This record gives sequence, structure tokens and C-alpha cells, in this order.
Amino acid sequence: MAAALLEIRQLGKRFAQRQGRDQGREPSPWVIQDLSFSVREGEFLTIVGPSGAGKSTLLNVIAQIDTATTGEIVFDGATVSTRDPRALKPGIDRRIGYVTQDDNLLPWRNTLDNVLFALEVQGRLNDETRARAEMLIRAVGLAGFEHYYPHELSGGMRKRTALIRTLVYDPPVILMDEPFAAVDAQTRTQLQADLLALWELGRKTIIFVTHDITEAIALGDRALVLSKQPSRIAAEHAIRIPRPRNVKDIFALEGFAAIYEKIRADVQ
Amino acid sequence: MIRWRTLIDRVLVLLLILALWQAGSLWFGSYWLSSPWATTTRFVEQIINGELIRHAGYTLAEAGAGTLIGGLPAVLLPFLLRRHPIIVAILDPFMVGGYGAPKLAFAPLFLLWFGIGMESKIALTASVVFFIVYFATLAGVRTLDPRLIQMAQIAGASERQIARHIVMPGAVPNIFAGFRIAVPYAIAAAVIAELISSNRGLGYLVQTGAMNFDTTSVFAAIVAATLLVHAANMAMNTLEALLMRWRPPLQSIMES
Amino acid sequence: MTDIAIDNEPHANVAWRKWAIHGGRLALAAALILAWEYGARTLGRLFFAPPLDVLERIVTLAASGQMLTDIAATMRVSAAGFAIAALCGVLLPLLLRRSLRATEAVEPYIMASMGIPKYALAPWLILWFGIGDLPKLVVVTLVVFYILYITTFAGIRGVDQRLINMARVIGASERVIAREIIWTSLLPFFFTGLKIAFPRAVSATIVGEFLVSTEGVGRSIEHARQISDTTGVFAGVVIAIALVLAINGIVNLIERWALRWRPVERDMQI
Repeated sequence: MAAALLEIRQLGKRFAQRQGRDQGREPSPWVIQDLSFSVREGEFLTIVGPSGAGKSTLLNVIAQIDTATTGEIVFDGATVSTRDPRALKPGIDRRIGYVTQDDNLLPWRNTLDNVLFALEVQGRLNDETRARAEMLIRAVGLAGFEHYYPHELSGGMRKRTALIRTLVYDPPVILMDEPFAAVDAQTRTQLQADLLALWELGRKTIIFVTHDITEAIALGDRALVLSKQPSRIAAEHAIRIPRPRNVKDIFALEGFAAIYEKIRADVQ
Repeated sequence: MIRWRTLIDRVLVLLLILALWQAGSLWFGSYWLSSPWATTTRFVEQIINGELIRHAGYTLAEAGAGTLIGGLPAVLLPFLLRRHPIIVAILDPFMVGGYGAPKLAFAPLFLLWFGIGMESKIALTASVVFFIVYFATLAGVRTLDPRLIQMAQIAGASERQIARHIVMPGAVPNIFAGFRIAVPYAIAAAVIAELISSNRGLGYLVQTGAMNFDTTSVFAAIVAATLLVHAANMAMNTLEALLMRWRPPLQSIMES
Repeated sequence: MTDIAIDNEPHANVAWRKWAIHGGRLALAAALILAWEYGARTLGRLFFAPPLDVLERIVTLAASGQMLTDIAATMRVSAAGFAIAALCGVLLPLLLRRSLRATEAVEPYIMASMGIPKYALAPWLILWFGIGDLPKLVVVTLVVFYILYITTFAGIRGVDQRLINMARVIGASERVIAREIIWTSLLPFFFTGLKIAFPRAVSATIVGEFLVSTEGVGRSIEHARQISDTTGVFAGVVIAIALVLAINGIVNLIERWALRWRPVERDMQI
């Protein structure tokens, strides 16, 4: 078995109580408590959980834009989590990419410039990377929209742009926080197919968080179930549906119904 | 698209205004109320002989210099202080006071300090522009979506890069809104200061016209000043349309 | 990383910050006054009157009653101008509201006339009315009028059209609609507009007095400047600023009192 690329060990997170005046300090509730799992390199891991289960919080801590209260995160053999907000290193030197729920495109840049943004900032803008960017734009069907501004794009198109913006600079691990939640069902299925197609090209390590069980099964090699707050890993399911998968007909695939039932039971 | 009826209505109103004006001029005499015709001919005359252009140029120069001198620090300060909120908080009551205090009331002070030349007008307009643009920029820098900054950090951007690529473009709409309000204000302030005491500019023309009991000159100069203010407004609008192509069409009216 | 780290700051930090801010403000104020004193000593009395001299002059003016006379003169014109402007500035939009056609026909001219520098009319008004209250009054009225006109218009436009439609369906007359819906919706805008406009009326009067020198706070300032009485200029400016701030404060208090018993309390920002 390949060694784990990313290990989450007994992670715990709670937010500091906002103190106005001293009115009986109650400790704030734990959002995440005693949460452990590991991710292998090249694995597509999905995490399912009900709303409010601290999914975004978990990803924020992994991406190092927030501190861990207890426990630790080990990335590629080195401990990266920290209690000190000033020691945070978002993205861990660009080795962890993060596709958030809101597309967070820069409204004053057109599609192409948004995709090139990370490369620009990292000083890696050259012919080769530009070609890669253009390839990705074509791959998700945005060819011809390079010079459109975000407000001129549909929701699905903005999502795609946000997606390839992270893919273009090739971070070894990519976190995704319900990226397709805000689009209609049809667009979502298309986006899922696009994502898998792109993933097949490079087989990056992906941690994909969602509340949609179908999505979790369609995309992942393995699905983890998150309990309600204080969240921990409630269950783990291997998804043995062979790849490449046809996400549009996922319901018809063998083994889908069984897995679905198991996961649904765990989510309750 | 303006409907025909509205257009005709507006023309009718214009004719009505001109008629009343002309009637008033006839009734009271051209010494008291210069007629539309006399005003227009004098206006054109003074454009052709260059005098209006020259003085308008002085007023514009005063306003322009003041906008630069007042506007530049006002834009820089919120950026420099972005990561020092304590200093911003310390400055706040002073800035609010400066913003609320009527700068025009300081005009005699500026005249005392800098004399009746252009410098005093520049100082006045600079003070007017500074406070307006400061608060506009501050709003732009503060209301930046922190998630955009997070996104840039994850992509590996340094603090400098974040300031340049995220904070600055994000604040531009607010900064621009500030200048949009400030520039016409600056022109008006320059004219007012010239009215009090000066040796050139459109306000000076108004004053000398009045002192010579030359109502027509006074009117012509006032028309020129009004046109200048409107021209500035239009210029700012055009500039905005050019710069802000990336903005979504539905904008909130509340800015700054 | 203080931008993005979620606020996990311990309690003690918050208290320290408050002290630092208050202390900083006091320090800055003290530094400014010291700089003032220093300026007076180095740059000469022509440019910078020493703070103590200015204070002395203010006391003298107050004692002799001159200050009160000046303030009274200024406030007289401000109040009158404000009242007239308030009447016109509020009534006109309400009247125009009745006829969309009239509004569209007239509005561009009102907007165009807004660009006229009102103070520039002062010299001409002096020709007409001589040096007295009237030129100032006209200028102040005009300045305030436009402020209130725009504010009221914005308020009217902001009134929820759906409420008006609903009222029409019920069969309410135009008068009832104006009274119930528009008036009530307008109230917060009103107060904000008046709040802004009255201090502006005062400062507009002061500036007007620079141009029409008879009496008033502004007149004192300008007169002092003309005879190079720097101390007088400084003293006058301090009095002027204090007056405007005081008016501001009073208006704020009135607003709070007036809105206290109103159920609809909305914070408008214009």
C-alpha cells in the first residue's frame, strides 16, 4: 500500500468564544473532534456529511487558512498544522489547492486572466504554462469565452473557471468544498464528468466534500461519512465501481444502489 | 430612448425659461438682468478673444492641482495603513472632523497663508478633495471580500502581490467614486475662493464684472463656470464607463 | 495573516487595543496643538496666531457680546434660508410626483441648474439688494434647496411601488396614498436630509458672509483677514467650527428624541 500522503490525526477544532463582557464564559462547542483519516497519493476521496457538519471548517484547517485546536495534520511526512494563527501557511507553499464553494473569481479579470492568475503570482507564466491554460479552457468547454468578465458568465461557467484556475498550476493535493452545489442538476452532472475527465489525465490527490451522496459515490474511490457536530469520521466506504465512470448513468451502474443505501444509513 | 413627447416637453420648458428670462430682462432693464441674447453674445465674444478660456484654465488648473495634491495621499494612506487598523482607529475622529468641517469656511485662512494667487485655491481644493477621497478609499480597502485574499494566499501570493493584484483593483471602484464626487466639488471650491479674493480665474471674472456693474460679464462668467462643472461631471462619467467594464450592471447607489 | 485568521484572540488583547487607540488619539491631539504653538513661534504671528492668543481673543469676543451678535446674525439667515429651502425642496418633488410627464420635462433643467455655483450669484445679488441679509439668504436657500430636493426625490423613488399598487387596488385616493405610504416611508429620509441640510445651511451662511460682509461669524473672519488680524481669523474660524459642530450635535439629539417613539426606525445613509 502506498504510504499516506496526507494524514489527519485526532483533529479537533473549535472557535474562540467572542467575549463582549465577561458573562460567564462557556466554552464554545467543538466543531470537529477526534477526527482522523488518511489520504493516499492519487486517491479521489469524497467526504459526505449533513449540513453544519463542519465540512468547510475541516478543509480550511487542511488548507492551512485556519488553525487546529487539537490534533495534527501530517503532509508528506511533515507536520503542517499549527495552533498559532501567525504561523499559518495557506496552501502550504502551493502544494494544496482549494476550490471553494463560492467561485471567488477576480471580477476585474477576464476568464483567461483569472486562470493565469496563480501562474502569474508564482512567476511561472511562460509559453508552456499558457498552453496548458488554454488546453484546460478548451477541455471544459470555455473556448471562445477567454475575454469575458465573470459577470458575463453563467454560474456553471464561473465554476469551471474556478476549477481550472486551480488545476492549471498543478498542486499535488486539491481540496474541493461542494463546488457544484450552487448549479442546477444538469450542469452539475456535466461538471462532474468534466472533473473526472481532467482528473484521469493527471490523477491528482483530491479531497472532495459534498452533502450529496450520489455525487460522493459517482466521483470517489473512497467515501468518508462525517457525523454531525462535533464531527468525526463515522464510517468509511470503498467504492468499487470501475473507472472510467459514466456519471450521467451512475444510477444504473452495478453496485450503486447497495453503496448508496449503506452510506445513507450512516448519514442518519 | 427618450420619447418624442418628453423631448417636445423639454424644449417647451426651455423656451418658457428663456422667455421668462428675456421678459425679466426687459422689465427690469439689462443692468439688473442681462438678457439671454446679451449673455450668449458676450459669452461667445469672450470665448473667441480667449479671455474666458484663459480664466477657465486657471480655475481648472487650481482644481486639478488640488485634486492631485489632495487625492494622492488620500488614496495611499488607506493602503499603507491596511494592516495597521489601530492607527486607522486613532486617526478616525480627526478624519471625520476634517471631513465634517466645512473646508470652505477655511478659505480666508488659506488666503491669509498663501496669498490671493493660485496657491491658496490649490490648498483649499486639496483639503476638500483629500477627505472625500480618503473615506472613499478606506471603504474600498475595508470592504474587500476576504475570501479573494484567501484565494490569492493559497495560490501562493506574497503580501505585495496581494496588495497589487487584489486590494488595489478591488478598491478602484470606491476610489473612483470618491474622485467623481470630489472633482466637481473642487472646481466649485476654486470658484468660490476666487470670488472672495483673487487675481484670475472664473470667480475673479464674476467679481470684476460685478464691480464694474457689468451684469452681462457676470452672467457670462457664471455660465462658463456652470459649463465647466458639467463638463467635469461628464468627463468623470465617461471615465467610469471606460474603466469599469468588468462591473456587473446592477450597482448599488450607495457608495462612499 | 491578521486579514484571514479567524478571530481566536484572547480577551486581554481587546482591552489593550482600546487603551492604545484612546491613548493614540490624545497623543495626536496634543501633538497637533504643540505643532500649532511651534508654528506660531517659528513662522511668525502673521501666519500663525499662538493658541493662547486665540483663546484670549475668543474670550474677549464672548465677553463683549460680539460673538453672540455674530452668531445670532448667522443663525438668523441660516434658519430662514433653511426653512424656505425645506419647504420648496420637499414640496417640489411631492408635487412633481403627481405627473410623470412634468417630472421628465423639468428634471434635466433642475439637474443642469444644480451645476451653477450658487455663491457666484452673490455679487450680482449685491447689485440688486445691496449688502445685507438678502443676498446671503438667497444663496443659502439655493444651496440647501438642492440638497433637500435630491434627498426627497431619492426618498420618493425608494418608496415601495408595491405598497402603492396595493393601496390603489384597495381603492385609496391619491391623497390617502400620499399621506399614509409616501409620507411614512419618507420620514427616515426626511430626517437624514434635514440632518445634513441644517448644518450645511449654517456653513453656507458663513461662506456667504465672506462675500457679503455686513455681520455674522463669516464676516468677522473675512474682516480680520482683510486687516491682517491673524489672531482674529483664527479665533473666528474656531468659533465657526464650534458653531457648526454644535448645530450638528443638536440636530443629532433632536433626531434621536423624535425617532424614539416611532415604530419605524431605519438608518438611512445618503
